Amino acid sequence: MVTKTEESQLNKLENQVDNGGGGAWEYLCLARKLKVRRSDKVLKYGLSILNDSRKRSSLGSDEWTLYEQVAVAAMDCHALDVAKDCINALQKKFPESKRVGRLEAMLLEAKGSWEDAEAAYSSLLEENPFDQVIHKRRVAIAKAQGNISVAIEWLNKYLEIFMADHDAWRELAEIYVSLQMYKQAAFCYEELILSQPTVPLHHLAYADVLYTLGGLENLQTAKKYYSSTIDLSGGKNNRALFGICLCSSAISQLARGRNREDKDSSPDLPSLASAALEKEYKLQASDKLSVLTSTLKCLRVSS
Amino acid sequence: MAEDLVLDTAIRDWVLIPLSIVMVLIGVLRYFVSKLMRSTQVPDGKIVKEGQVIVRARNLRAAANFIPPKSFRARRAYFSNEENGLLHVPKGQAQNPQAQMFSDPNMAMDMMKKNLSMIIPQTLTFAWVNFFFSGFVAAKIPFPLTQRFRSMLQNGIDLSTVDVSYVSSRSWYFLNLFGLRGLFSLILGEDNATDDAQRMMQMSGFGFDPTKNLGAEKDGLDIVQHEWALPKFEQRAEAVLRKLVS
Repeated sequence: MVTKTEESQLNKLENQVDNGGGGAWEYLCLARKLKVRRSDKVLKYGLSILNDSRKRSSLGSDEWTLYEQVAVAAMDCHALDVAKDCINALQKKFPESKRVGRLEAMLLEAKGSWEDAEAAYSSLLEENPFDQVIHKRRVAIAKAQGNISVAIEWLNKYLEIFMADHDAWRELAEIYVSLQMYKQAAFCYEELILSQPTVPLHHLAYADVLYTLGGLENLQTAKKYYSSTIDLSGGKNNRALFGICLCSSAISQLARGRNREDKDSSPDLPSLASAALEKEYKLQASDKLSVLTSTLKCLRVSS
Repeated sequence: MAEDLVLDTAIRDWVLIPLSIVMVLIGVLRYFVSKLMRSTQVPDGKIVKEGQVIVRARNLRAAANFIPPKSFRARRAYFSNEENGLLHVPKGQAQNPQAQMFSDPNMAMDMMKKNLSMIIPQTLTFAWVNFFFSGFVAAKIPFPLTQRFRSMLQNGIDLSTVDVSYVSSRSWYFLNLFGLRGLFSLILGEDNATDDAQRMMQMSGFGFDPTKNLGAEKDGLDIVQHEWALPKFEQRAEAVLRKLVS
């Protein structure tokens, strides 16, 4: 994940380039380093550098990295002829390269010829079975074709070897949620929390899955994770605030009659959360405030 | 004896400076030669997987208090299970890393090449220094030394009464050998093959020993006491919200 300072730096550069002041090359380098997906800007500014032969020769050997970056951005924006030109230029320079082979297979995938792309990736993997990018592209093909079960299978095999890749765990979690396999999704989110315990998004997603699973214990756990999200994000996360209100109302509904009170839970938390929500709505969406207050009243009444 | 010897400035011009320049040039040459001779190494499957397992186990140990106790216990069992846990290495399989290194022909070749590229220039330069630049006092070390250093620093000077601070060019060679490392990282960038001292330290702590790492991780994991930190977060969230709302 990109840190705030890096993101603000990237946005500043992007603004600068958008408004005509130079710095396109620094912007492209930063985008490449941070691995953000701003393909339309990368394509526009990368092409302007590549088409100007003076600027291109001033890059020296970085020119080829720029070709690769622009090729990938072009495929993302579906400008397939631009991508083909870049790949041809790269192929002329590096005829036997595996990196260029990978780009060609990606072009096949972008064109939609799934079997050819799959065959190309398999042959590349035979030569180098530890290329992470190619593994992930295979999963992407399966997902694009709609073969979610095959995608899950490939992704699981990938994660058996490369189990420290948190992006892959995140992708797997989202696939499981889309298939409503919530227990497995919970496991994946736990992995994400383990690898990055201070990122509030993972806590939030985990709490959402637990809330969806239901059951008193899961609801209590979900409430705890919503509160950790609030703590990590400084109280600004509206979804977590709503989560707290919903969880407490659901818990009190379930626990009515039973005496299984959670000794750690603080009784003021739901009211504080609703107060915070009202304050936020007053600031940002005051016309919806009445809807909010009535919803919260319903939740509290039913508790 | 505290008398001061006066050293000819010609020594500085013709010994110290040329020696430094030659060492810098040899270092640069070695860097380029090593770049040419480097072969791409296909990563070994088992080592990659073990590296990843170690990272994951380490994450589990570090952030154990953030996940519910049941999940932690499940994961710990997955890792340290006696039969098929990931971190469990059966006694018989614990490979001697040295034997492994020498049996793998690629790795052996690589190590030999690295060793050669380090040893040969050092030996040659040392011999050259000894042959041409011995038998006279080259420099004076600004701080006093004990008598024990005499044999190391004054090899060509056969007078036992000369102060130990006056050294021969052999010591200047050693000084350059260890001192030019900083200069090389400036000129050649961080990853250069001239990092002799670093490599010598690496060789003494013999390389990548995955089995020991796995065992260490397993012990660390067995020790961890799970104390679920989440309940505290409710109080903390309450405090945050109170501050926000008030």
